[in-house]
Amino acid sequence: MLVVAGLVFLGAVAMLALGWLRRDKPGLPWLGESERANTTLVVAFGIAIPIVILVALFVVSDLVLMKETDAPRAGETAMGMTVVGHQWWWEVRYGDSDAVTANEIHIPARTPIDLVARSADVIHSFWVPELNRKIDMIPGQANSIELYADEPGVYRGQCAEFCGLQHAHMAFRVYAEPPARFREWLANMERPAREPASAEARRGRRLFMENACASCHTIAGTEARGSIGPDLTHVASRQTLAADTIENTPRNLFRWIRNPQSIKPGDKMPGLGLGAARFQAIAAYLSELR
Amino acid sequence: MEAAAPPAARTRVERLERIWEEPPGVLGWLTTVDHKRIGILYFFTSLAFFAAGGVEALLMRTQLIGPNQATLDPATFNELMSMHGVTMIFFFVIPMSLGAFGNYLLPLMIGARDMAFPRLNAVSYWIFLCSGIFIYAGLLTGNAPNAGWFNYVPLASRAYSPGPGIDFYALGLLFVGISTTAGAINVIVTIFKLRAPGMSLNRMPLFCFAFLAVSFALVFALPALNTALVLLELERLLGLHFFAPVFGGDPILWQNLFWIFGHPEVYIIILPAFGIATSIIPTFTRRRMVAFPLVALAEILVAFLGFGVWAHHMFAVGLATATTIYFAAASLVIVIPSGIQLFSWITTIVTGTPRFKTPLLWIVGFIVLFILGGLSGVTFAAIPFDQQLTDTYYVVAHFHYVIFGAAVFPLLGGMYYWFPKVTGRMYYERWGQASFWLTFVGMNVTFFPMHLLGLAGMPRRDYTYSAGLGWTGYNLIETLGAYLLGLGLLAVAVNLALSIFRGERVGADPWGGDTLEWSTSSPPPEYNYAVIPTVSSPYAMWDREDREADEANLEAGRRTLEAGHETPASTAVDAEWDETLEMPAKSLWPPLTALAISAVFTMVILQRWLAAAICTAILLLVLAGWHGREPEEA
Amino acid sequence: MEAAAARRRAQPSGWWGMALLIATEATLFACLIASYFYLRFKASEWPLGGIEVPSVVLPLVFTGGLLAATLPLFLAVREAKRGRAARAWWLLAAAAAVQATYLGLQIHLYASDMNSFSPQENAYSSIYFVLLGFHHAHVAIGLALDSWLLWKLARGITNYRLIGLRATALYWYFVNVAAVAVVLTQLSPSL
Ligand code: HEA
Ligand code: HEA
Ligand code: HEC
Ligand code: CUA
Ligand SMILES: [Cu+2]
Repeated sequence: MLVVAGLVFLGAVAMLALGWLRRDKPGLPWLGESERANTTLVVAFGIAIPIVILVALFVVSDLVLMKETDAPRAGETAMGMTVVGHQWWWEVRYGDSDAVTANEIHIPARTPIDLVARSADVIHSFWVPELNRKIDMIPGQANSIELYADEPGVYRGQCAEFCGLQHAHMAFRVYAEPPARFREWLANMERPAREPASAEARRGRRLFMENACASCHTIAGTEARGSIGPDLTHVASRQTLAADTIENTPRNLFRWIRNPQSIKPGDKMPGLGLGAARFQAIAAYLSELR
Repeated sequence: MEAAAPPAARTRVERLERIWEEPPGVLGWLTTVDHKRIGILYFFTSLAFFAAGGVEALLMRTQLIGPNQATLDPATFNELMSMHGVTMIFFFVIPMSLGAFGNYLLPLMIGARDMAFPRLNAVSYWIFLCSGIFIYAGLLTGNAPNAGWFNYVPLASRAYSPGPGIDFYALGLLFVGISTTAGAINVIVTIFKLRAPGMSLNRMPLFCFAFLAVSFALVFALPALNTALVLLELERLLGLHFFAPVFGGDPILWQNLFWIFGHPEVYIIILPAFGIATSIIPTFTRRRMVAFPLVALAEILVAFLGFGVWAHHMFAVGLATATTIYFAAASLVIVIPSGIQLFSWITTIVTGTPRFKTPLLWIVGFIVLFILGGLSGVTFAAIPFDQQLTDTYYVVAHFHYVIFGAAVFPLLGGMYYWFPKVTGRMYYERWGQASFWLTFVGMNVTFFPMHLLGLAGMPRRDYTYSAGLGWTGYNLIETLGAYLLGLGLLAVAVNLALSIFRGERVGADPWGGDTLEWSTSSPPPEYNYAVIPTVSSPYAMWDREDREADEANLEAGRRTLEAGHETPASTAVDAEWDETLEMPAKSLWPPLTALAISAVFTMVILQRWLAAAICTAILLLVLAGWHGREPEEA
Repeated sequence: MEAAAARRRAQPSGWWGMALLIATEATLFACLIASYFYLRFKASEWPLGGIEVPSVVLPLVFTGGLLAATLPLFLAVREAKRGRAARAWWLLAAAAAVQATYLGLQIHLYASDMNSFSPQENAYSSIYFVLLGFHHAHVAIGLALDSWLLWKLARGITNYRLIGLRATALYWYFVNVAAVAVVLTQLSPSL
């Protein structure tokens, strides 16, 4: 397509160049000063040739390609999953599994997946440039699309529909893994959070439950049942935090929970001002949640 | 008229001068109904908005110069992004083309002495000015709209945008919409009714066809936007429900209504540019346009077909496949009329003997950029391609090529072309050419890399981006290009500003122009033509006998209409002389009306309902006062 | 005056202006009605939320009344063209009286609808009240034009007033068509 476009462009520019070269001579080369010839030229280049090109373009791109990339019909795919867009993070659920994760999507490679895209608030758009065409996530509507990775690997995705202040920091990662690795991962995700091991982490858990954290976040196996923010049951198993905004290192985790607004200004998660020591404890707890 | 005119003609001209004189000074500008003065007001006001929109763009580009910059915080970036789009489209391109170029030139080109409704024309301008101030008051009080120029719900609903920013957007656009609708109606009636007797439709310049098509498109496109805006404001201000699924609404309703307006809108933006191109090309190639009737038809067709393609902006919302395929096909069909016009321009240049003066340079630049922008538009009609590239910088590249390259370039070329007509002086040619090349290069350096950036996956409307994604280099180049572009435009501004005072004086027709406006003095007198011109082809200036007939008519007092503030009205198609109209003269009612409307909008945004009702009553009184005195009683 | 009107072969500018204004307003109504049906076909039930279907009789009768006012209006234009100011005035007054009665009754109905369900209830009630409200506003504007003309025509006919009358009549023809479209949309759940 780009080649055809290039040719059309060069042809037209060549004609303009001709106009410049012949700026002192009226009429056309060879054809001379005939109004009939001029009009024929306009009809040929402006109507006839474009019609041929356009019809070809239409058939190839819109009829043939569309079929190939259409959303899958029921039964064609091996697995279903749902991704819900939130201002400014992604909630991920797998078929009939109880696992809930966020911002990092693991999928089995070479397996067509029927992905249902929904939204919890405003319109977002789910897009992994290397894997799928865009599909908008629209409140009150469930759109579906096929997600398919033919190679294992990590693919970056991001929100493509303007959704407010932190639209720029609403990215995610897709990990395409060999099916066995994927099943193992999913089994871990289905387990409730593990018990804190150190005293510091136990203190962190208590603080998490006593403060507002628990009213926004869920940690399966505890009393934290909030649904405003991402599920944190296995937060430490993720590579990144806050929708692919920062690497998930202990230091970054601490920085994030202490002052999320300095990392994503205007974010829905407030800085709670509990003091460094308490945040340290909470971070210790969260980093055990593998 | 020329000083050497014989005595009989002189007395007639002096009488006309007296009849059409307007008061001097500020009062004269406030009360003016002269289409040329209103055109000039439109010109400077929309230029100011262009500068504002340009500064907003440069600020955005500065923020994007490198990864993770903090020149602007995200809230400010989103406000500037939205204001940039809104300003450029609603407060720069449309008022500049329809208001400034249309107003100034249409009556001249059709040989009339004013627009059909001179006071409506004035009120359109004052409303435009007030609405611009209104929406910028939002920015200045920290309440700028921030949901982008297409303002999708539910992001724009009260729940997610609690402040008054979106109200400024919706009310501001309704406000300016009144002005645009009135302007469009005025243009259509002027073209239908006030053409010089003898200028049947097939003798009308292509410029006028383009403006006719634009105005019709506006008349039918704006109501869709207005519906969307009214529903949105009813939802935001009074708590009704149209877009929220929990109440049975649907956010896609907004998208449909917006784009039913939005797509015709883009052709509304570009058609005046086509019109300007078809004025400049014949003059500088010294020949008539190739395939004139096809071009006229294509201009109308573009405006018409533009109504059938809106959903190509919505290929990713999950519409039914059959629907998307229909809209893709329609988007391809629309290429044909563009192709006709394009090859008519090119063939005319090739077969003519072009003089590459500044105005023609801008047009050639426009042709090149329009092809590029048009071709990237065509690629979107391949649905899978669009679903990959929509909402990325590839789209931003497409529309800046067609908007900045194809719509604004002819406006700039037109500024050079008609500069001698409006001021009676010539600009500096070398500077003019230099400013063209600066802008042309800057334009491509700014916007070409955006294609690649889009292909590399950068979404639009990101206030920042991370390093390591392969986007940094492109963004840096774009920002530098934008500064260059700004420099080029500054050169245009400086050239024209200096030439107003220092340019060489010129006569009525420095170019050997093709259309009527070149037959009257530069600048034209208040009454435009002492004699209503005789016309027998669309290239009236090249019909020698007709221009000689005008001089003889002045001498003999035929077609001079010197009994009062008069202009002839013709029949709509054949332009036979129908009646002599008494045109309204200066009036203070238009600015008063605009003030009253501003008061209403201000009270609505403050949610002072009682005050709003009172202001509406005042508005009605003003309107009654305006229409209390009839021309016959005056 | 009569002379100018008689000699004129084409429609005057004022008529064209009104025709184009009507074109945009008609498009506005088309968009509103399209929005109504868009919402309706997205909905699982219509009216939503158990609101009762609108009763048919009164709105149809009222609309019939409004349409009947077309005749005196049409005659008023004809008489005015012939220069008979007094007759034109009376015919216009008759039309205006019918139209005003129509508006009064419709507003009464509107208010009583509001008592049974509120515009804020759901998408159905919102679009219902907005569609009707827009229509009633157009009738009110027409009445304003009527009264301005009555005031003017009381002091004879001029070319300007004649054009005003023709434009106003054109406006009412449009409002009548819109009234039919609106009432059919309004009643569509019951039909
Ligand atoms: C001046 C304004 C203007 C013009 C003229 C155009 C012209 C066209 N546009 Fe563009 N468009 C915009 C302004 C404009 N556009 C804007 C502002 C947006 C984005 C809005 C937003 O999201 O903010 C947009 C977005 C946009 C989209 C949606 C992209 C997306 O968001 O996903 C699409 C999709 O189909 C599209 C298509 C087209 C087409 C097919 C044309 C055609 O009319 C082009 C026709 C011209 C040519 C093709 C070149 C000349 C012809 C030839 C050389 C003949 C031979 C050619 C062939 C055989 C191909 N445009
Ligand atoms: C007419 C329309 C128009 C014009 C002319 C421009 C002009 C420019 N635009 Fe554009 N732009 C839009 C319409 C337009 N834009 C729209 C509709 C959007 C989408 C918004 C949205 O997403 O909602 C957009 C979005 C947009 C973005 C994307 C933002 C984002 O997605 O995050 C960017 C980024 O670089 C950009 C840059 C520019 C630049 C650098 C220019 C430059 O060309 C500007 C150069 C101008 C100046 C520097 C001013 C100079 C003026 C003077 C010196 C005064 C005197 C002048 C004379 C006499 C000539 N614009
Ligand atoms: C008002 C609701 C709210 C409160 C209170 C809140 N959070 Fe959050 N949290 C969020 C939201 C929303 C996000 C998603 C932010 C984003 O990425 O934009 C989030 C993200 C996070 C993340 C990153 C998750 C990921 O996978 O990227 C962590 C960790 C976290 N919160 C921990 C905490 C802790 C610890 C507390 C208490 C000190 C807390 N949150 C309090 C709403 C809240
Ligand atoms: Cu979510 Cu953009
Ligand atoms: Cu479009």
